Amino acid sequence: MVGWLKTILPWLLLAVLLLLPKTNPSDNLIRLLFITAVWTTTSLGWNLLGGMAGQVSFGFAVFFGLGAYTTALLMHAGHSPYFGFIGGAAIAMLASFLIGLPTFRLRGPYFVIATIGVTEAVRVIMNNLDVTGGSSGYRITEDQPFSQNEHYYSAIVAVALAVLVSTVIANSKFGLALRAIKQDEDAAADLGVNPYTSKLWVHAIAAGLTGIAGGIYARRAAFFYPGDVFAFQTGISILLMPVIGGIGTVWGPVLGGVIYGMVEEEISVKFPNLHLLIYGSLLIAIILLEPDGLLGLLRRVFRLFPSQQAKTKLAGNPG
Amino acid sequence: MDAVEYLDLLLKSLLLAGVYAAMAVGMTVIYGVMKIVNLAHAGFLMLGAYFALEMFQRFHVDPILGSVLALPVFFLFGMAVHWLLIRWLPKSDTPTLASLLLMFGFWLVLQNIAYLIWGNEDQSILTPLTLSSVQIGQISIPKVNLVVFAAAVFCMAVLQIVFHRSWFGRSMRALIQNPYAAQIVGVDDQKTARLTFGLGAAFAGFAGGLLGMLFSFSPDFGRPFLLRSFVIIVLGGLESVSGVALGAILLAILETFGINIPLPVYWHGWSFHYLPPSYQQVIPFALLVVVLLILPKGLSSLFNRKWKAA
Repeated sequence: MVGWLKTILPWLLLAVLLLLPKTNPSDNLIRLLFITAVWTTTSLGWNLLGGMAGQVSFGFAVFFGLGAYTTALLMHAGHSPYFGFIGGAAIAMLASFLIGLPTFRLRGPYFVIATIGVTEAVRVIMNNLDVTGGSSGYRITEDQPFSQNEHYYSAIVAVALAVLVSTVIANSKFGLALRAIKQDEDAAADLGVNPYTSKLWVHAIAAGLTGIAGGIYARRAAFFYPGDVFAFQTGISILLMPVIGGIGTVWGPVLGGVIYGMVEEEISVKFPNLHLLIYGSLLIAIILLEPDGLLGLLRRVFRLFPSQQAKTKLAGNPG
Repeated sequence: MDAVEYLDLLLKSLLLAGVYAAMAVGMTVIYGVMKIVNLAHAGFLMLGAYFALEMFQRFHVDPILGSVLALPVFFLFGMAVHWLLIRWLPKSDTPTLASLLLMFGFWLVLQNIAYLIWGNEDQSILTPLTLSSVQIGQISIPKVNLVVFAAAVFCMAVLQIVFHRSWFGRSMRALIQNPYAAQIVGVDDQKTARLTFGLGAAFAGFAGGLLGMLFSFSPDFGRPFLLRSFVIIVLGGLESVSGVALGAILLAILETFGINIPLPVYWHGWSFHYLPPSYQQVIPFALLVVVLLILPKGLSSLFNRKWKAA
């Protein structure tokens, strides 16, 4: 019964999200869902590397920003925005190899610190690059009228793709290898997993998803600058969502992304500095009290009140 | 550039190195004893700068004295943070991601509390010292740099004495060398860890006050210095206090002279180009990655390797 529900719910959710624009919802709701979908995509991408393979990166703003800039430059050259998104993903993946090849030689916290260095360096470079307008930013001009729903659909497709990719990886041999690396890199290597190449590939997939999200974000925003898309804060946000939701699972990052998107839009407008304070406190609480995030907390709550069915099941199967 | 200019820059980078060393030493002792990479270091640096500013504006305390006063205040603060948060972390021989994320979360909290209190305007501490300078031949050095350097070196010297002459220092060194053996001979690791975290925070607050006299600051102040601190402690070999001085000098010199070193570039044939000045900020970050990759055990590993071969 529960297993059946678990397979059907995501499809139901997707159907509701796809049909939503037909019911003439408010522009604000669509915008909110758009932003949430974009952030959730990055959250799922980060989770592949940080949650499944256990390689925490502060540097995903690099891929988000590269996706945004590549899409913008390709659209400026007269290509379709969808080609731009794919181009953004490709460039982000390329960058992920350039970053990963040296930094994956480092382990654990050294990798984490190196990603901070990379993201800071890239932002300074982008601030000074003349081709993209430097620190004054880049503007996308489209000759077709602004279509709220088109942006919305592209974000929903991206997040569906991210969920699909995550689910496939989580249930594959590759996913098993990643979990082995997270638990013990040396033991994984002894069992025939190549940690270095596995990390490189999952980094690339994660970067690709983040790059697509960056492109979709940039196309709707129409104007962006390095201090925004390449900001350290962007990298932090991408890391916070899965950690808050519950790392290593498929739905934890989605939960984190939805909470983040909603809170961000509602609270950050009124109290621009309060939201990071909340996230910081939440991060501390989660690390100390519930390392599996909100999803782990939910599971624990459900275990406190087991359903009648689960009770009889427990009684019927002692041990 | 002529010789005088080089000498001028060299002198200024050495003066900067003094502050850098004071800034990084807190991170080193915490890493050495607890194996925690203290990302909240940036938050302590920033709070130290605001502490000196508030003391100066409200009570007209000289910022140098304010920075020194930050030592006991941040010592207690650091011990409180250890008691509240860090002692609950599982112990480990290597830095854990949980500790990293915890310290990061704490940094976010500190940073955003600072935004709530002081807003996001850039602040700076201006004293009569800021604008006057000392003339040595053709070289003029701002007095503030000299005073800050002196304060930093003095406090480092005091720390060195504590480290080598007190029981607390001995406990710290014992835990750095071998935590298990240290506990067997009766070192109270929890107590030492608490004091060490207090010491690390104290030096971060102190260095923050000094940095606040040299640079303008906002609640986001600590981030570039956090990475610089990390470059320094990696160069210094992560656990040695004297290595920190060496790392600080190297970083300060490379940062200052980075844009004066011609780099070979291949573009229709080989030629030499200088790094544009606007890219100067990239140097510490790039250096961080390079150092982590080439010298993960610090500069001393270079000498050790040679020594072993011989």
